[in-house]
Amino acid sequence: MANVVSVTFDIASFTSVMVLIVLGLGVIASMMGIFNFAHGEFVLLGAYTVYLSASAGLGLWFGIVAAPVVVGVLGLIMERLIIRRFYASPIIAMLGTYAIGLVIRETVRGLLGGHYESIPEPIGGAFSIGGVNFSIWRTIIIIATVAVLSGSWWMLAHTPIGLRIRGALENPMLARACGISTSRLYGLTFAFGSALAGLAGALIVPLYQLSADIGIRFLVQGFLSVMLGGVGTFSGPVLGAGGVGVMASGLPWLVPPVLADPLVFLIALVIVKIRPQGFIGAART
Amino acid sequence: MLRATKLQGGGRRAFRALPAVELLVFAALVAAPFLLSERLDLITLITNMMILSIFAISFDMCWGFSGIMSFGQALFFGVSGYAIALVGRDLGFSAIWGVLPLAMATGLLLAALLAAFLLLGRKVPSVIFVAFGTLTGSYAAERLVSGWQYVGAGNGLSSIKLLQLGSFEFVEGFEFYTLAFLSLLAIYLVCRFIVRSQLGLVLAGIRQNEERLAFLGYRVQLFKAVIFSFAGMAAGLSGALYSYHQGFIGPANMGPSLSTTAVIYCLLGGAGTLIGPVIGTVAIEALSYGLSDIDAIRHFWPVILGLVLLVIVMFQPTGLLGLVVSNRERIGSYGARGRGRARV
Repeated sequence: MANVVSVTFDIASFTSVMVLIVLGLGVIASMMGIFNFAHGEFVLLGAYTVYLSASAGLGLWFGIVAAPVVVGVLGLIMERLIIRRFYASPIIAMLGTYAIGLVIRETVRGLLGGHYESIPEPIGGAFSIGGVNFSIWRTIIIIATVAVLSGSWWMLAHTPIGLRIRGALENPMLARACGISTSRLYGLTFAFGSALAGLAGALIVPLYQLSADIGIRFLVQGFLSVMLGGVGTFSGPVLGAGGVGVMASGLPWLVPPVLADPLVFLIALVIVKIRPQGFIGAART
Repeated sequence: MLRATKLQGGGRRAFRALPAVELLVFAALVAAPFLLSERLDLITLITNMMILSIFAISFDMCWGFSGIMSFGQALFFGVSGYAIALVGRDLGFSAIWGVLPLAMATGLLLAALLAAFLLLGRKVPSVIFVAFGTLTGSYAAERLVSGWQYVGAGNGLSSIKLLQLGSFEFVEGFEFYTLAFLSLLAIYLVCRFIVRSQLGLVLAGIRQNEERLAFLGYRVQLFKAVIFSFAGMAAGLSGALYSYHQGFIGPANMGPSLSTTAVIYCLLGGAGTLIGPVIGTVAIEALSYGLSDIDAIRHFWPVILGLVLLVIVMFQPTGLLGLVVSNRERIGSYGARGRGRARV
């Protein structure tokens, strides 16, 4: 019983990491119809911000708060300068963002000098309930994910800006006709998605060592999650991330870990092949 | 009859830059071993370039000519490389008449299977789905291989049995250069024939308006699958030559990073031109060779690659060849002379 609880906790904490990363990816994919290949590198930048803040003596918490802001601003600049040229053609966007990601990743790799840096958990240790130990930091990640999810939902459902975003998603042309600047909204959305990636990076870096490849391991899984959930909605990618997260962290308990990853990909691809419109899209159309 | 019928006469014949570039490149490749007979390192470098050019052309057949974004072209390259390495290790077999067809068959079969899954079926797949499908295939294969002890796990397979012709063994140098050159020439000519045949005409139609072609009764996805499989075969040949030439094949040779390198080769040279990928490969590899001596830059080589790709997609989508070849010639360069005007 205790074993089952701790496995479930592991799955839940990994799934929240996935959801946090995929939320930004999915928001951008749904709004602008582009898949941001540099998303993994935004996660890396978030993690790197925490590392910089820690080594500059500003402390971990400052880094964790600063990460979404820094990465969000960077995302905004990138959207204004580069990404906005790509909205018309998803494949070109893919190549362009891949190039941006490559530049960021390899620059950080050069700055880190190829080393792995460990970042300590800001609140270490564990608490136990009924003889089962729960890592405090993983619990915080789960709580933060739930908070971010409900915050985003509240923003979309109950604020004027959320209304505009939903409008621009449903029908960009009509939204423009109503005087909503979709171009500004796209900039904001991209910055928001980047900020989420930065936050995710800052939160997960104590769990994984900081290396240039910290983001890339989530990227392919992230894309599959978005496609699994369906592009064009906000809840779809989150559901997809949940599914992929549970599979990716649960399967290694059932099959040899070497086979687990490819199996997750295969299952996800087969589902997408059968339902190209995703979970939610299927219900809507 | 595959070849389109020639139209007689008809108007001014504009200067055609593409054949000139093609001739120039192949003439340079023929001349290189005679001019550089003292520099074995450069011969080896150019051999490598030609092998990778085959790989880049295979990607061009997918993206430049049939609009399939194959983000995992290295899968066929790597798996074929492993196949011949294993045949050499476990069966002690490396005769050229056996292993090269084996490598091509491996690439062809694998690509056909992937194409059947990704492209065929009741629902028309989106470009994005195909791109992610190929990317995921290549990523999954890399992960799988780097954890599999039988194929050397993360270390890959080294000291691969040399390629043999009778009792002759191919080592780095002129003989391998000749082999790579002939392979490149053969693949190039076949590709050139395909894109200028009636099949190429269908592909041109698919590029322009996939829906219309479908309404005209063409099974668009089937055509794409055929080209994708053919490209897999070419990539397989390239992978086998590569691992014989390097004497090594590793998980990185089938991963997304090599796959995207093929994209960069092709886009830098100019997609949809066949000779463009060769030029792109030569440019990138020459740059990499030239910069590898400078320590400070070598570490940031991938950054340079990324910047090159970014600049191309933002400012020069037609690649280097776009500077010398007009759009009209680049797009309309199939079929017999004079036919270019028929398409608008």
